[in-house]
Amino acid sequence: VVEPRRPGPLTGTTAAGTAEADGRQTLTSAGHPRPINLRNLNQEAAEAGNADIDLVSGATYTSDGYAQSLQSALDKAGLS
Amino acid sequence: VTALSRAVHVEHCMGTVFSIDIRDPGEWDGPIADVVAWLHQADALFSTFRPGSDISRVRRGELTVTDADPHVAEVLDLCERYESETDGYFTARWRGAPDPTGLVKGWAIERASTLLRRRGSGNHAINGGGDMQLAGEAAPGRPWRVGISDPADSRRILTVVTGRDLAVATSGTAERGAHIVDPVTGTPARAIAAVTVTGPSLTRADAYATAAVAMGTRVFEWAPRCAGHEVFVVDAAGQRWLTPAGPRTKNTAC
Repeated sequence: VVEPRRPGPLTGTTAAGTAEADGRQTLTSAGHPRPINLRNLNQEAAEAGNADIDLVSGATYTSDGYAQSLQSALDKAGLS
Repeated sequence: VTALSRAVHVEHCMGTVFSIDIRDPGEWDGPIADVVAWLHQADALFSTFRPGSDISRVRRGELTVTDADPHVAEVLDLCERYESETDGYFTARWRGAPDPTGLVKGWAIERASTLLRRRGSGNHAINGGGDMQLAGEAAPGRPWRVGISDPADSRRILTVVTGRDLAVATSGTAERGAHIVDPVTGTPARAIAAVTVTGPSLTRADAYATAAVAMGTRVFEWAPRCAGHEVFVVDAAGQRWLTPAGPRTKNTAC
């Protein structure tokens, strides 16, 4: 039996994953929150075809919600 | 720097949008068409909005699970397994007739990824409405980078997960309100805004993420038991929590 432990708050930090040799990834606390401005990301994705992130994970969007999503902007860069 | 090999297809299905993103060089129109056909086949089998779907007929008692498409029994078996692994918080049995809707999307994506691997793609992503199975890496020598959106503002990225060959699933109230019900109390779960689960299998990670939102603050007791999975929680107050690194075992279940 594993004793339940309440994890510490991550306030003021952002979690970044590191790839493990076996393919699993581990989240570790590092750095600071880095908001991404949608307009900047759109431009980056559209102009360079390559952004800082490849995909976006979040609560399931509807078809309408997708149109406004960061994922949509990332897809458009690959559809051109 | 060589140009990034990318074949992208966007498909509307199951009330959301699927992004298929292949990072291997070559011609992928055929395999992508097969993935699209599979996703629509899964929707046709499991949509509770379609009166003629196998699951709708099972729910009305017109069709037994044994006589239905074999995928129905497979999915319902998985639902039972994950119900057990989540202390009952993931359930396809709430209020009587079986409803595996919460499992089908992740399961269909994971199978679609396997289909692409069999067709020769070792490096691809399939993202269905924010839940994804990632194969290989984004580019030679570069792991996938997945932004986890802020439930308070989905156009903001809270954190970035990087990795190879992994699944990332997020459940929460951001896009469709408090739609996840705590099966113990029967009331909408509101204490947790979003949960992201990473692990090898999207079917399981997606079920875990849904269950974790339903758990409310009990998620803090359950999540550290999930060997092989990382759990990132944003509570209703916007506070962020991360499970400590679990034991490194081959066991991938709670």
